[in-house]
Amino acid sequence: MSGLTSPYFWYTSRTTGVVSLVFLTLVCVAGILVSTRVGGRRIGRFELNEIHRSLSMSAMIFVGIHVITTVIDTYVPIGWISSVVPFTSPYKSLPVAIGTVAFDAMLAVWLTSLVKERLNFSSWRAVHWGSYVAFVTSALHAYTVGTDAHTHWCLYTLYGCLGTLLVAGIWRIFARPERAAGRTAYSPLQGRTPRR
Amino acid sequence: MKRKTLSYLLRVDPVRCDGFGHCAELAPELITLDEWGYPILSGETFARSHVELVQSARLAVRGCPRAALSLQSLSSSESN
Repeated sequence: MSGLTSPYFWYTSRTTGVVSLVFLTLVCVAGILVSTRVGGRRIGRFELNEIHRSLSMSAMIFVGIHVITTVIDTYVPIGWISSVVPFTSPYKSLPVAIGTVAFDAMLAVWLTSLVKERLNFSSWRAVHWGSYVAFVTSALHAYTVGTDAHTHWCLYTLYGCLGTLLVAGIWRIFARPERAAGRTAYSPLQGRTPRR
Repeated sequence: MKRKTLSYLLRVDPVRCDGFGHCAELAPELITLDEWGYPILSGETFARSHVELVQSARLAVRGCPRAALSLQSLSSSESN
């Protein structure tokens, strides 16, 4: 098949890799907004949740295209097994393995969320923390294996993603989630008094 | 004459619920929130023919970030 020897799979793989990282960043930020209970006045909380879910579907589609085109492309010898099992790629074993870990983490988070109602909440949540694993490994993978990683536009994209998630993550740690009725949960242990 | 009717009841699992309040935005006709943001369900069953309510209830079930809501279908035999 001429398609397999053409450069287009390779180009698609490189492009969707960068796009996937951007989507993954947006998914994580939207997830942070949902978990910190942002919204209610200007934007509905359920809308942020919908945005989080739709973005995650887009991220999975792009990362799916990234993995499929990488495997079927003949420019580098990466087999199907390397898409899920780390350290099986003869080409840049460690950087590709980091990407494999990222993909596995994304798959785990995605699949457990599809069957969320059948899972125990704490197990779902434990797996969902894997999103941060997916983000960090994706960024590392992009930096170490990306063909375009050292071009300016790609570096700026990578720094932009890292910076965005760092800010969102720090904000998440310090944000006090506001309850639906506009009150902060009162906990006697924290010695705080309810607002209003 | 006996006829089978299908109706629904929206239920919340109080252990899973953490008061995100998405359900009250999605199904305001079925759910209100208490002052801490936890849902108060009317507890009334509604018929399958009540399309708007069924639709809202489904959206609330799907939209719950904790998957704490469920739509229970009840089949009851009613004599006409």
